[in-house]
Amino acid sequence: MAHAQAAIMDRPPERGLDVYTQKVGMWVFLCSEVMFFAGLIGSYIVLRFGASDTWAAPGEVLNVPVTAVNTFILICSSVTMVKAFAAAEADDQKGIKRYLLLTTLLGAMFLGVQAFEYTELVLHGEWQGSHGFTPAAGLYGATFFTMTGFHGFHVFLGVVCLAWATIQAYRGRWGKDHHHGIEVLGLYWHFVDLVWIILFTIVYLI
Amino acid sequence: MSDHRAAGEEHGHKAPNYMLIWLYLFILTIAEVGIAFLSTFPKWVIVVGLLGMAVWKALLVALYYMHLKFEPRRLRLVALVPLPAAAIMILAIMMEYI
Amino acid sequence: MATIVAEATGQAILHEEHGQSFLRKYIFSTDHKVIAIQFLFTTLFFLMIGGLLAMLMRYQIAWPDRTLPGGGILPETMVSSGYILPEFYNSLVTMHGSIMVFFAIMPMLVGVYANYLIPLQIGARDMAFPRLNMISFWLMVPAGLMTLASFFVIGGAAAAGWTLYAPLSGRPDLSGVHLGQQLWLMSLVVLGLSSILGSVNYITTVINMRAPGMTWFRMPLTVWALFITAILALLAMPVLSAAGIMLLFDQTIGTSFFLPEAGGQPLLWQHLFWFFGHPEVYILILPAMGFTSEIIAAGSRKPIFGYKAMVWAIVAIAFLGFIVWGHHMFQSGMNPTLGLSFTISTLLIAVPSAIKTFNWMGTMWRGNLQLHTPMLFAIGFVAMFAIGGLSGIFMASTPVDIYIHDTYFIVAHIHYVLFGGSLFALFGAIYYWYPKMFGRMMNETLGKVHFWLTLVFFNLVFFPMHGLGMVGMMRRIYDATGYQHLQGIEDTNQLITWAAFGLYASGFLFAFNFFWSLWKGRKAEANPWSATTLEWQTPSPPKHGNWKEIPVVYHGPHEFSHPDVTDKDWLAQNERPDVTSPAHTGPAPQPE
Repeated sequence: MAHAQAAIMDRPPERGLDVYTQKVGMWVFLCSEVMFFAGLIGSYIVLRFGASDTWAAPGEVLNVPVTAVNTFILICSSVTMVKAFAAAEADDQKGIKRYLLLTTLLGAMFLGVQAFEYTELVLHGEWQGSHGFTPAAGLYGATFFTMTGFHGFHVFLGVVCLAWATIQAYRGRWGKDHHHGIEVLGLYWHFVDLVWIILFTIVYLI
Repeated sequence: MSDHRAAGEEHGHKAPNYMLIWLYLFILTIAEVGIAFLSTFPKWVIVVGLLGMAVWKALLVALYYMHLKFEPRRLRLVALVPLPAAAIMILAIMMEYI
Repeated sequence: MATIVAEATGQAILHEEHGQSFLRKYIFSTDHKVIAIQFLFTTLFFLMIGGLLAMLMRYQIAWPDRTLPGGGILPETMVSSGYILPEFYNSLVTMHGSIMVFFAIMPMLVGVYANYLIPLQIGARDMAFPRLNMISFWLMVPAGLMTLASFFVIGGAAAAGWTLYAPLSGRPDLSGVHLGQQLWLMSLVVLGLSSILGSVNYITTVINMRAPGMTWFRMPLTVWALFITAILALLAMPVLSAAGIMLLFDQTIGTSFFLPEAGGQPLLWQHLFWFFGHPEVYILILPAMGFTSEIIAAGSRKPIFGYKAMVWAIVAIAFLGFIVWGHHMFQSGMNPTLGLSFTISTLLIAVPSAIKTFNWMGTMWRGNLQLHTPMLFAIGFVAMFAIGGLSGIFMASTPVDIYIHDTYFIVAHIHYVLFGGSLFALFGAIYYWYPKMFGRMMNETLGKVHFWLTLVFFNLVFFPMHGLGMVGMMRRIYDATGYQHLQGIEDTNQLITWAAFGLYASGFLFAFNFFWSLWKGRKAEANPWSATTLEWQTPSPPKHGNWKEIPVVYHGPHEFSHPDVTDKDWLAQNERPDVTSPAHTGPAPQPE
């Protein structure tokens, strides 16, 4: 019995992914998110292939310059996120607070610009001669609003979590020994940025 | 909650230059918009170029910001798993329209 | 001591409950065992509802010209002047399938048994993310309420088949169903999230929380099956969510993804649905195969025949399961070359399934068979699944399928694999793990009666359907008597319906046994089946936290009748490190 106890104390659990559990969980979850967006984006590709003559040219309906700036905002928020994580690893409390706050604000800004873009399109957009560009505007409208809308929904959820993390930062929760939460949230946030990188290219530029 | 077996992982390498990666992303975005609107290449060249740049940006984010370049190989494998499934689905359905 | 163990194994120790409220302990519990039991009661309820819908369908099929006894209590929109309305019949068909798949079989296989068994069988104290686990269960509640509510809204419940083919499903003016379909789609999205979050938990737990010595190839086949199933769910369910959302948008905000008048592609729905749908049916069978392996090994007092082959067969079935979905669409008008590739991959998938069938038989061969109720159901599974698999081979070939698609031949196949397969294995699992869950044995006599009644009635109901399909009786039709080519099948249909009533009634015998035994069943010891896996090496039911100390594993999962063990015919995974056989377990781990 003492032998068995010694065995338990000496031996670690079976080798997993050599990575802490919450990180494994987030990566596994992101796999499902890849499949979700693959469903939406895959449908877009297929539908477009089958109806390419009715598709609007880049820039004809959508506001590319504004969205390009929005893309830049989201990329910046990824930088501030990764800097927040670096600050946590280094136990830099000021940096943690500053960068988490910045990431939250940049994320919220992205949403704001997207909301503005949607309003402009629905009220003043031009598609096939008629006024107003909505999800009912053919396959072009359907795929545009569904893909960007669900991406935006994921950004919204991310911003809510970031706000929570920022509040926790001001309560001194994060630090050198407590940064797994920031890293895991960061993985989600970078993923959302990654999806947008793909979406921006294929929806706005091609 | 800290895992002792994973304790070594974060300090095994020098942190990448995050600002440099940001600069690459910035340049690539400008390049994308430029090529989409200002170039006179045939359409398929533009499409391939844009897709290539998008994938490049995505890889930069995945490998450096999401840290995959420095993670154990097993974790990289996990991250790769959905890609073939997504590819099979999209390619097979596209066969209906070619 | 407890903290040292916690640090050594890197797992959170769940503190012993001290005055936790009833609400925290039983309603909003984060203990995987409690959550599993919550799933069990919920899914048994939905199994009963799904069966009831089938009884209504069977009545209509057998006696289309008669009124429904007691039909007056149902609203006029369902039963008018005593007759089941065609629109309501379509809803019955749709919701029977949907409820059985999404609220009964899948959550029972996964929500109950992945939750209950994974931590216990790998030597963990709980899941990787206990609170996420609780959320996973509670998401099922609004989903279930929306589904039940959909029967009572204007237009009734969804009525376009459980496969929701567009454009019928997206056109309320054609199907007559407005809110009901939307409620069902929203329910599906919520359920999908529950399933995905559950999968994240199961996958992470198996990867990162196995006890010392529990290597990948020492895991019980049940854990392997549930692990691979979780991967299938993780990758397939999001596609259904995406498709379901697109269909919901078609109905509500004016998009036209699947509506041809505005440029949409109905075939896209079929591709997306079946890309999910085929892995889904493997989600519905793989855990059942896992339970069967476990019960047959324990019931034969022999190690599973070809353990590694069984593992690779599970992996092969799952992998191939992603590239066969088009065999549901041979009649859809899809690209014929694509059809050919799907025929080939579908025929291939019979190979690992056959390997598993032969290995179960090899396990039983010359075994010391213990024919208790779980074993009877497990053997029944092998036989019924073999029949279902054989009919599948006919359907895999496009020329044959063109003839039998959307006939009762398909209905026979589905039910041989889902009822004769999954549900038989589930009954076996319920009887088998009941003592561990509730600390009492179910009544063995009633169990045997339940088994035999179920086996006989099940075959009387579904075997004749092969014949009905081959003479051309179509699926989902309200009244077959009006068709010239179907004159003469009424007797068969009536026989089937009487047998179906008998089958449903047998279910109540099981329910009585289940609930009666909770209070009056014989008290169960820790290991009533003399089984080898870790869950049997702890009290019945296990305490919060599962073990005083995390076990150390020295042997493979099904070490029965080991030649070096002379005092008993089984060897627990965590005992006697000096007894090893490289053929079964690999070299003994040496403590430092």
